[in-house]
Amino acid sequence: MEQSGEQQRSDEDYGYGLFPKRKEAKYKKGSVGESLFTFHNKCQLMLHFALETSPYAKFLLGVMKQSGCTAYQDRHFSCEDCDGTVSGGFDAATSQIVLCQNNVHRQSHMNRVVTHELIHAFDHCRAHVDWFNNLKHLACSEIRAANLSGDCSFGNELSRFNFGFKRHHQECVRDRALRSVLAVRKVTPEEAKKVVDEVFDSCFNDLAPFGRIPHSKNDVKFASRDFQNRDRYYGNL
Amino acid sequence: MTAAAGAAVAWRPPRSCEDYWSEWKHCKSLWNRFHHYYAFGTSLTCRQWKADYEACREWEKESSAEAKELLQQSERARVAEQNKFAPVWQLRQKPPDDWYLPLDHSKPQDS
Repeated sequence: MEQSGEQQRSDEDYGYGLFPKRKEAKYKKGSVGESLFTFHNKCQLMLHFALETSPYAKFLLGVMKQSGCTAYQDRHFSCEDCDGTVSGGFDAATSQIVLCQNNVHRQSHMNRVVTHELIHAFDHCRAHVDWFNNLKHLACSEIRAANLSGDCSFGNELSRFNFGFKRHHQECVRDRALRSVLAVRKVTPEEAKKVVDEVFDSCFNDLAPFGRIPHSKNDVKFASRDFQNRDRYYGNL
Repeated sequence: MTAAAGAAVAWRPPRSCEDYWSEWKHCKSLWNRFHHYYAFGTSLTCRQWKADYEACREWEKESSAEAKELLQQSERARVAEQNKFAPVWQLRQKPPDDWYLPLDHSKPQDS
């Protein structure tokens, strides 16, 4: 799940408080609903465009389809209003990716959020990830999503005024994973940092399904080629 | 159950020679070197891709056992490098049972 603003709650809600529409029983209509509909429409369009044109998203969708988890826009994706500055999330209980229509307004941002959440969905599809009870599993998927989605690209970090270079990618991944864990779990920063540190080496180096950190569309092309070639590769080792 | 006699599939390099070439060229590129330093803080050596390409061409020409051995060793080392650390979670044998289950429509998923 993406990072959020700071919110204090007295009980563990697994981050569902950031996505209020997930639990609502009634659909509110009215003038506020009308302006939301415009955001909703725009979100659906941008999502469709991302799924059709983003090389990262298309690659992940293709790999997941091969693994038996075909993702359909109308079943596995949902545009909703979210709290704070959250951009999206993955709801393992419903196998759905949530896109925050009130916080994602640019196509490039949508592409990146979709990629990030698809990595969570991919992890859910291929592994027994205990999202709700195992903080290490959650931290691991957040490290991987920050690492492989482009969240921590040089350009994105520059736009956040984070001017690091040597090995900065890893610092960014660590920081963003930490923030994501803190956004959705009632743990102290020290606890979250400890868990992120514990699993960092394993999860930063788990590059599935890309096999490399994709810094560009070209890297995704290479990853896609390796994936197409996997039978030949493993059959001739 | 019987195995088809003499039906072993002939060995060939794990990647095509063109793939080794393009990986080498990609590895050497300024873009890739820049991003490798950004991610790992170390400079990159691309020699192994070139060596693999040459072994691949050698195999195509001569089918030499040495070229085959070199390629297998190189690729096994790459796989080992990717599997250096124990995974945090257990992999599934099949996808989650509820992936395609219909959503509960008493709660609207879209606002």
